Amino acid sequence: MTRWRIPEITLWRVIVGLIFAAGAWATYLRFAKGFQVATNLSNAQPWGIWVGLATLCGVGLSAGGFTIAGAVYLLGMERYRPVARAAVVIAFLGYLSVVLGYAWELGLPWNFWHPLVMWNRASVLFEVVWCIVLYTTVLALEFSPAVVEKLPWKGVRERFLHWHHRVLIALVLVGVLLSSLHQSYLGGLFIIFKGKMYPLWYSNYQTTLFYMSAIPAGIAMVIMALYLSVRSLNVRIDMRILDDFSRIVAPMLVVFTLFRFADLAKQHALGYLFKPVIETAYFWGEMLLFVAVPLVLFNLPQVRRSPIGLYWASAVTIAGFVMHRLDVSITSLERATQAGYVPKWPELAVTMMLVTAAVLAFRWSVLHLKILPRTLEVPAPTFQLPRTTAYVFPAHPGAAVN
Amino acid sequence: MKTKAMLIDITKCIGCRACEQACKEVHHFPLEHEPVLSATALTVVEERGDKFVRRLCMHCQEPACASVCPVGALKKTAAGPVVYDGKKCIGCRYCMLGCPYSVPRYEWSKLVPYVKKCDMCAERVMAGKQTACAEVCPVGATIFGDRDDLLEEAQKRIRENPTYVNRIYGSEEEVGGASVFFLSDVPFEKLGFVKPPQTLPLPSLSEAALGEMPTVVMIGGSLLAALYWFTQRRQQVMAAEAEEKAEKEAKNVLRFRDKERS
Repeated sequence: MTRWRIPEITLWRVIVGLIFAAGAWATYLRFAKGFQVATNLSNAQPWGIWVGLATLCGVGLSAGGFTIAGAVYLLGMERYRPVARAAVVIAFLGYLSVVLGYAWELGLPWNFWHPLVMWNRASVLFEVVWCIVLYTTVLALEFSPAVVEKLPWKGVRERFLHWHHRVLIALVLVGVLLSSLHQSYLGGLFIIFKGKMYPLWYSNYQTTLFYMSAIPAGIAMVIMALYLSVRSLNVRIDMRILDDFSRIVAPMLVVFTLFRFADLAKQHALGYLFKPVIETAYFWGEMLLFVAVPLVLFNLPQVRRSPIGLYWASAVTIAGFVMHRLDVSITSLERATQAGYVPKWPELAVTMMLVTAAVLAFRWSVLHLKILPRTLEVPAPTFQLPRTTAYVFPAHPGAAVN
Repeated sequence: MKTKAMLIDITKCIGCRACEQACKEVHHFPLEHEPVLSATALTVVEERGDKFVRRLCMHCQEPACASVCPVGALKKTAAGPVVYDGKKCIGCRYCMLGCPYSVPRYEWSKLVPYVKKCDMCAERVMAGKQTACAEVCPVGATIFGDRDDLLEEAQKRIRENPTYVNRIYGSEEEVGGASVFFLSDVPFEKLGFVKPPQTLPLPSLSEAALGEMPTVVMIGGSLLAALYWFTQRRQQVMAAEAEEKAEKEAKNVLRFRDKERS
């Protein structure tokens, strides 16, 4: 019998409690008072951080799911198999929080299912919605064995796992395709804003750029999550896996940057690189955080050898990635819209709540499901073990005969 | 019914704002004047120097708003108006950003908010009437009629009066053309008109991006399947080779043992 106890009060629990309290209050404001009270959105700035941060970054940072699942299941990179499930769970929770976030973001959230029955094939957003719905389902299916394993019915369990094993490869393949499509089309949303976006962020190839930036950011996210799991959840994995992942991040960032500058040249926007305006500072800040600092850090042997070094290098990469996506979705439009948008606190509170919920859900699944290999804390024995003679194995069969 | 349109001649407008008021009456909005477009002011008359410029939905021939809407809540009708169906809308507000003229407004203060924009009095037009703003204009600065006729009329005015700028804003240079035309004797840029980002309709940009989808799926899908087959096969071969090697070694051991015994 376990008695229910008041949970221990720790700093982190207090912080989580405060985040959820603020999120709950923000939710009340959003649904009882409306956008005008809960947000700084306006006719000039109809999309704020619920799109720029919660959706664009949420989806982008979940890109580790399809890359690592693809590497393990399709390309046979067996040494990453121990973390494949974790990457899938991270992606699944990321997408789930993005989808749930639409309850706050949409003006008429109860109509969320409309794109599934009212089609407009010309709309990039329509394609994105379909891909995200399908891919979240695929992720749920990829992740489902972790839950089914825990079911008490043996027959169901075995039949399900048998069936799942047969379709897994197809699921992963479809998952990689769906991801590649909507990771790109998230950028495709911005192609039609021609003339409104500042030239440093407008591109006809925004699709390719979004795809190229999501992969390193998604992998950096997996590095962070794995490091934290090792640090605080007794997870034991080969730390060289993190190092291997970091070897992919840096070259991807280089590819992204080269493509970006080539694209700026093609759009005749190189002249904007050094204009004395505020956008220039944002652009170079982004270059520093998303490209320069991560490249230096990921190439320092001291950083590469230490897991915490990789953790911080990934954190900087993610910060840069977030800045890049916020620049594309918000900063780039400021000059045309003159909106002067700064998010109101409920917008931040809702986003923080969703992120925190995803982190807690990840923690729960690592602790209670078979996501990552863990060492278990064995309780101290309550009785004295009897002294036993040790078994001595003969050195080799021949020796025993003599 | 032929495609309808409106022609707004800035040289004629006297800034009486009768169009604003008529619009508000038709849409049952509170009647007080608002300086800029809002969810309750679907057209406004803005002062630019000594000129008066009406702002309203341009009713594009190939509207970006209709193209970006994921549920097809916005539609270009054959009669000319671009209309909005609130029953379909999910409130994503992509139309507001997609519109090159930044016209659609949102009911930010409402708990059940909808998009609001000029609907070119679609119901009245279907019933064979004029738009409310054109009907009420005392000086004929806004006139309503068949699109072709109005284009001809605008060209005639430019031909006959050299003070006009030689351009019909909204005819075709502006993202594929619209169903609202402006004539002016001052360059449009000076009156705060949006400089159109391209002459082709904007939806062509999304189309180009979406057109790549089948290629990505086909090539990506076959590439992945091929890679999977390849790695799978390699693993099988490696496993078979390892087995063979193990068998050979076992045989060697046996042979060695036999040799020793004999």
